[in-house]
Amino acid sequence: MIFAEPVFRPGGDRFIEMELGDEMSFDLNFRVHSVSRLIRECGPAGIIEIVPELTSIMISYDFERISYADVVAEVTALFHAVGSLDGLELDSRIFYLPIRYFDPWTRECYDDYCAKIAPKERDPELVARLNGLADLAQLARVHSGTDYWVAALGFYPGLVSLMPLDPRCRLTAPKYDPPRTWTYKGTIGIGGALCSIYPDRTPGGYQMIARTPVPIWDPAQRLAAFAESLALFRPGDRVRFIPASAEEYDHVAAQVEAGTYLHNVAEYQRFSIGNYHRWLGTIDETVRF
Amino acid sequence: MLEVIKPGLETTVQDWPGRIGHWEQGFPFSGPMDDWSFRLANLLVGNPPDAAGLECQFTGPTVRFGRDAVVAVTGADMQPALDNAPAPMWESFAVRAGQVLTLGFARLGARAYLAVAGGIDTTPVLGSRATFHQAGIGGLDGYALKAEQNLPLGDDNGTGTPGRRVRPECRPPLTAERVWRMEAVPGPNDDWIDEAGHRRFLESDWTVQTRSNRTGFRLDGPAWSFTERATDKRPEHGEDPSNILDHGYPVGAVNLCGQTPIILVNDGPSTGGFINPYTVPSAAFWKLAQSKPGDVYRFSAVSVDEAQDKRRAINRLIAEASIEAV
Repeated sequence: MIFAEPVFRPGGDRFIEMELGDEMSFDLNFRVHSVSRLIRECGPAGIIEIVPELTSIMISYDFERISYADVVAEVTALFHAVGSLDGLELDSRIFYLPIRYFDPWTRECYDDYCAKIAPKERDPELVARLNGLADLAQLARVHSGTDYWVAALGFYPGLVSLMPLDPRCRLTAPKYDPPRTWTYKGTIGIGGALCSIYPDRTPGGYQMIARTPVPIWDPAQRLAAFAESLALFRPGDRVRFIPASAEEYDHVAAQVEAGTYLHNVAEYQRFSIGNYHRWLGTIDETVRF
Repeated sequence: MLEVIKPGLETTVQDWPGRIGHWEQGFPFSGPMDDWSFRLANLLVGNPPDAAGLECQFTGPTVRFGRDAVVAVTGADMQPALDNAPAPMWESFAVRAGQVLTLGFARLGARAYLAVAGGIDTTPVLGSRATFHQAGIGGLDGYALKAEQNLPLGDDNGTGTPGRRVRPECRPPLTAERVWRMEAVPGPNDDWIDEAGHRRFLESDWTVQTRSNRTGFRLDGPAWSFTERATDKRPEHGEDPSNILDHGYPVGAVNLCGQTPIILVNDGPSTGGFINPYTVPSAAFWKLAQSKPGDVYRFSAVSVDEAQDKRRAINRLIAEASIEAV
């Protein structure tokens, strides 16, 4: 459900959660980012930070400068100022990331989990089976056949929640239960209806199907793409996965290691949701690649 | 320069209010957990409020000063000693170059703060010196202090004055009592918990688990029970009643992970897929900071207005009027 009016709920003395709906929907998330942009550009003084998520926005505010009631009133006005989505465009960079499907590292991580925690079906086979795909080749084809939308960032610095923009490429998968104690940096995983890239070696629960040698988080800021921030993505960016051979993967990994790798990003892109809706009307969503 | 002889259990460089402006990319604020004590320490030595100092957890560090300095220790009573002679808490004092300051076991409370006039001058990361060691950023090389490291100190320009003391009534009221009255504001997801669940939260004793740190405080207590919103929901929210579509987490959230509540604190995750039925307000953070595993929390519900008034009352104490001459 997408709410006609946003719902505001307090998070203690310093935070307000703004709910715009309660379903996984690209349109809803696009509205979240459109409202977030307006809050950033013309929100009232006293709002300190916002965290846009799938269907909601977490707002931190300084109550010495603005009251709870005034945050609610001003942000509600911005919500209404967004109006109909169809005329909206947002800046949206596209990152091209080489990834190696069904790589030896995620397999090693899976084997370690099976040996030490609990045996389970192999991740790529499980994702292919649950999504009615013929084989792993089709899994790689479907997974790499779409742009992904950076719907949210968080939990760990730089961790992304990616939504496939082409409905023919939607994949869903249950999460590991219990979760893994470790995951290789750069692992590509699927959990629920979302895809994610592990920014660092961390615990995890998404089904692992590939790995990228390209860092999306760099606390040492070695590579040029991290000049401004330690984390690569911003909400509203897009990601395209480029299937890579073992040789191609190693080539990029060596460039990253040498500090010479340049992230492949199209900075000039914008995303028009009107165009997107018109395109959706021309495709048969039930036919996979 | 400050030479680390013994690092203590977990001693980190922190500044207040921490790393602001990068929450949307997943960077927590970090900063001192008991900012009441931390800010008073800076005030004692004449530092600006955003000067970096040390947060010392459970057992403090031993450090040698590379220059003359004026310092202050606040928060948990770690029995400070200067060259083995007792040094005061809550009071600025002079240290000569070469002298060794030792903070010991926290006799009362859990976290002590050490401020040095001029501040600790490690390189800021994304605008803050605060350590976020889960991801290895800030502080000195991203982590808690280690033996033989050297911490750069800022120039104090002779601003530090010894013999300034915080009036007892202006300090966080630490006692040997191990039961804490903890304020909690209902929300954001209080409507996912049924009446019996709210009653159990507010009427039960909650014990702090050993697995508690600057990310979160895990609590043991009775079971939770839920409303229809938690049990009759769209599948993308997840299977467990405590699952919700990923959303932002307020700092202080009583984050319900299955049946285990975890109070998310300064280094906690910014987002995730569990509900937050209550939020501990900033005015109660000094109590979280000063409690230890095995301590008991008893929660009382307060409104947003009440929580903000309590915070204002603390903020008023971070002022020159709270300081007296020894």
